Amino acid sequence: MTIALGISDLGKRFGGLVAIDGLSLAIDDGESVGLIGPNGAGKTTIIGLIMGELRPDSGRIDLFGKDISPLGVAERIRCGISRTWQIPRPFANLSVIENIRIGSMPDSLRGMIFDRSDPIRERELAMSVGLAKNDLERKASDLAMGDLRKLEMARTLAAGARILLLDEVFAGLTVGEIDHIAAVIQNLRSRGITFLIVSHDLPALAPLIDRAVAIDRGRVIAEGPLDDILDHPDVRDSYLGR
Amino acid sequence: MDIGRHHLALWAIAAAGLFVLPSLVGSGILRTLILANYLAIFAISWDVLSGRTGYISFGQPFLIGIGAYTTAILTKRFDVPMEISIPAAVLVTMVGGLIVLLPALRLRGSYFALVTLALMELCYQLVQVIRPDITGGTRGMSGLPTLTRGASNGYYLSTGLMLTIALTAWMLMRTRLGLALSAIGMDEGAVQGAGLSPTRLKSFAFLASAFIAGLGGAFYTHYLGSIAPRALFDITFLFTILAAALIGGSGTVIGPILGAFFLTFLLEWLRPLLPGAERYFVYGLVALLLYMYQPAGILAIIERVRVRLFGDSRSG
Repeated sequence: MTIALGISDLGKRFGGLVAIDGLSLAIDDGESVGLIGPNGAGKTTIIGLIMGELRPDSGRIDLFGKDISPLGVAERIRCGISRTWQIPRPFANLSVIENIRIGSMPDSLRGMIFDRSDPIRERELAMSVGLAKNDLERKASDLAMGDLRKLEMARTLAAGARILLLDEVFAGLTVGEIDHIAAVIQNLRSRGITFLIVSHDLPALAPLIDRAVAIDRGRVIAEGPLDDILDHPDVRDSYLGR
Repeated sequence: MDIGRHHLALWAIAAAGLFVLPSLVGSGILRTLILANYLAIFAISWDVLSGRTGYISFGQPFLIGIGAYTTAILTKRFDVPMEISIPAAVLVTMVGGLIVLLPALRLRGSYFALVTLALMELCYQLVQVIRPDITGGTRGMSGLPTLTRGASNGYYLSTGLMLTIALTAWMLMRTRLGLALSAIGMDEGAVQGAGLSPTRLKSFAFLASAFIAGLGGAFYTHYLGSIAPRALFDITFLFTILAAALIGGSGTVIGPILGAFFLTFLLEWLRPLLPGAERYFVYGLVALLLYMYQPAGILAIIERVRVRLFGDSRSG
């Protein structure tokens, strides 16, 4: 099994606060890993570090065996890794299909001006995340939360993502929407996409992951099947307090 | 947007109308049209940058001024022919565009706007202090070579230049590049999150804006045949450009043109009634009213009327 995402000895401080403290993690190609932990454990910070939005103080990050530490955000995305946000960030005044088009653009001025867009692929991407046909021309600002999350996933897939980092993917969703998103994730898993999923909604998370990693204060405190981890004393302590 | 046969016919009629116009109207109106054309160019230049990427620049007079002064100094002091001085002015203005870009790599919103405003004021002061024997100091320079003689030639030149710039900008903004630039204005972080480099896109917008500003500034100077620092590096000039783009409808190419013509003619018609600077009060009033009732500008009003009259056959 090749390791899709390898994190070794990652460290990040914000002033006096140690946000990530020598954290190591390896995710196999095609694997789906849940990242859990109490508020402030460092889950979102890890995603920021993996994507290059934040600069680590120490450690390295490998993507399919290649050190991506020196690369900028856009370059990392071109290497096949993308994220979604806790609060979705669509291009509000653009239509659904235009949002996806931005994800599928080449990162060169020449390509943007002279290459044609591929409407068939854009439509397929929208369908693959469960967006309805008559939503495609709607403005992103008119979409409900569930559709915004789908749109974000479509945009990351358009950019060629093979590893998706989903940050609080169920936040703000209705029960029905959670089922929809879960089905989309299962579908993408079956197509070989690798996932790192952050969520507080453990029942919704459980069927979507192969194993879970629990962190607290920037360190891994337990790793393994989700049920085992939840019984782990350190995990209980971190959630409930000692 | 499909360009159908009736579109082509409309364009042909418009082009013919523009062509025969000088024989129909007096030279006074032609001179007003020339001013409107140049204001339209400046407003397009502002809109390519600020109307798309959301980086509100107050530095447009700075850029236009660099273009204007470069060609003025080269032709007046060094006897360089205009065929060389104008391209040189455009190049120098693009370097100026990179100077405006620098704060945009770190600042956003009103902070960026204020820094660009400072650039304009700095230039005004520098022109007077550094080598006034070359720049002409506060009085500027006159007796510069002109490109055309007579109002109708000036009209043809400025109209041709404006339409060429507008058409090029329009075609460019229809591509995916235009889409990406608008996306920058909505959420720069998400553009990066889509795998595109915001810095590259911003550099393009700033350079394109500077290119248009430099070209417009240089041609404008050789139309006027004179140059003065307070006419260029001035807040009134800046607000006229901004008002034209915003009143017309920013984020489009046709909007700034509409706005420029509307404002220029409004100013001319008000001249007999309000001879002094009060006319600018009316500017502000129009801008305010429009902003309260239709922030998307004149273009949106026209579009709404069109929909009401002919139904919603939206084509782009």
